[in-house]
Amino acid sequence: MTSLRKGTLGKRIWKQRWLLLMLLPGLIWFIVFKYATYAGLTLSFTNYGFRKTVSFVGLRNFERLFRSASFFNALRNTLLISLYNIVFYFPFPILIALLINELGSVHSKRMVQFLIYIPYFFSWVVVGTIFVNLLSPSSGIVNQILKNLGMESIYFMSDVKWFRKVLIVSYIWKQMGYGAVIYVATLSTVDPQLYEAAEIDGCGRFRQVLYITLPTIRPTIVTMLLLNLSHVLMIFDQVMVMYNASVYSVSDVLQTYSYREGILTGNLGFGTAVSLFVGVVSLCLVMGTNWISKHFLEDSIL
Amino acid sequence: MMAVNHKNAIRQSGARIAFRIFNVIFLTLVCVLVVIPIWNVLVTSLAEDKDVMGGVYLLIPRSFTFKSYMRVFNSGYMRGFWNSLYVAGIGTLVAMLITVPCGFALAQRRLIGRGVFMKLISLTLVFDAGIMPLYVLIRTLGLIDNLWSLILPFALSTFNLIIVKNFMMSIPESFVESAWLDGCNDLLALVRIVIPMSVPILAAVTLFYFVSFWNRYTEAVMFINNSSRYTLQVMLRALIYQSDGSLGEGNIVYDNTKMAVMVLGMLPVMIIYPFVQRHFVSGLMLGGVKE
Repeated sequence: MTSLRKGTLGKRIWKQRWLLLMLLPGLIWFIVFKYATYAGLTLSFTNYGFRKTVSFVGLRNFERLFRSASFFNALRNTLLISLYNIVFYFPFPILIALLINELGSVHSKRMVQFLIYIPYFFSWVVVGTIFVNLLSPSSGIVNQILKNLGMESIYFMSDVKWFRKVLIVSYIWKQMGYGAVIYVATLSTVDPQLYEAAEIDGCGRFRQVLYITLPTIRPTIVTMLLLNLSHVLMIFDQVMVMYNASVYSVSDVLQTYSYREGILTGNLGFGTAVSLFVGVVSLCLVMGTNWISKHFLEDSIL
Repeated sequence: MMAVNHKNAIRQSGARIAFRIFNVIFLTLVCVLVVIPIWNVLVTSLAEDKDVMGGVYLLIPRSFTFKSYMRVFNSGYMRGFWNSLYVAGIGTLVAMLITVPCGFALAQRRLIGRGVFMKLISLTLVFDAGIMPLYVLIRTLGLIDNLWSLILPFALSTFNLIIVKNFMMSIPESFVESAWLDGCNDLLALVRIVIPMSVPILAAVTLFYFVSFWNRYTEAVMFINNSSRYTLQVMLRALIYQSDGSLGEGNIVYDNTKMAVMVLGMLPVMIIYPFVQRHFVSGLMLGGVKE
């Protein structure tokens, strides 16, 4: 019986040999660059990096981590920036998409989408430079406007009060088009008859948005939120590019902390402990939100 | 839809008109806020030295010259440009060669072990080991200071793979089956039937890959220490924030030259984008990740 089953499985595999062959390179990639790095997280329980011999040190790296003031500073900054991101950035593309959807002509709809998508393709280095230019205290357009209004110029990039706001605004500038285009594409799937029916029932435009449009894009909103949550704590590129010594205290995030402790200092085991911490907290955040959304909205991605 | 619009037009109340006007103004403002900084970069890069001295913020062109571009073309920044182009070009090719067949295989409902594969792949979407294990891996593979360290770890994106898989699942299985009848195996069916039907999504994904390779910064800082292998983004960051003297006369690098390097840093992507853009709406529907 077993041999017979084996035979049929073998036959099925042989029949799908091309399909499995096509799957193989991707599978190898997942094993090497994803699952091997998961296995690499075990380095956080070792003193890897300093000595030639690697030895198991148990939870010592984590003990050190949870006693370090700069870790808690980085954690606080990461959580604050993430919170600002979710509160201020996340609704923005939805709002823009709803407004684009209200535009009369197809042509202007396309034009707006084409333009606001452009910054998404710029690197953080380019976006960082653009904001350095805009916000320059001597020549930046923002400070020129402030001066013309009779106000003092503001050193946005080096002022601890302003730097996080600059991070969020530049994040919105770069990313809003990407989100908006996805929502607009989803909005185009709404059955026009629904609006017609609502119209006949005496629903105004605002109520149509509330009862027809939003429910239609709700699964997309949930998916975007979960994807956003899965990497919001991993903020790295943007900070690496934009921060400088004077705003260190408000912008040092977990990833830059891990980079500094792990790669620059050479204590890779400890750096990995930070990576593991970020990874696990992110996972909990996503799974928690996924669970909530599954139970209350019946939408989930996993 | 047309009929509804027409009815709306007749019933338009004052509030509705006010909203429309507000909407047009608001979206125009958003577009202006997007375009102005980019326009400023272009105008500054094309200006004469004397017009950018003292860091004047230019919106209206005062001069038009390619002098700064000539300076950049004859500088070490071109090496960074070619390094970046190598990474982005080869990287995108490798990524598509892995992603497309893999996405096709996963889109076939008959695939053995499909459920398990999808679970393993979806997990990588929500759990990331972070930078440190990747750095250790690259070091173990001996790829430090090798441009392939910027290609291989990013030669697949779970997100792009799922986009491709979802699109190919929407192609009826009968198309693939009809290819079998013509004596094609699955690989030929992919090449002859499925790929030609997936052009929009493949164009979008190609652009996404190219952009992700071209723009990569942090990993390039971590993995590449040899200055002859620096990518353009790394050199650009150094130019803006540390102002080295290799570009200007004396030690001053004028803003026009900096902005010319910036334009170089966004050029390839900006050339490709308009051609791919029309595919975006059809290609970017964010299908569910799960089955």
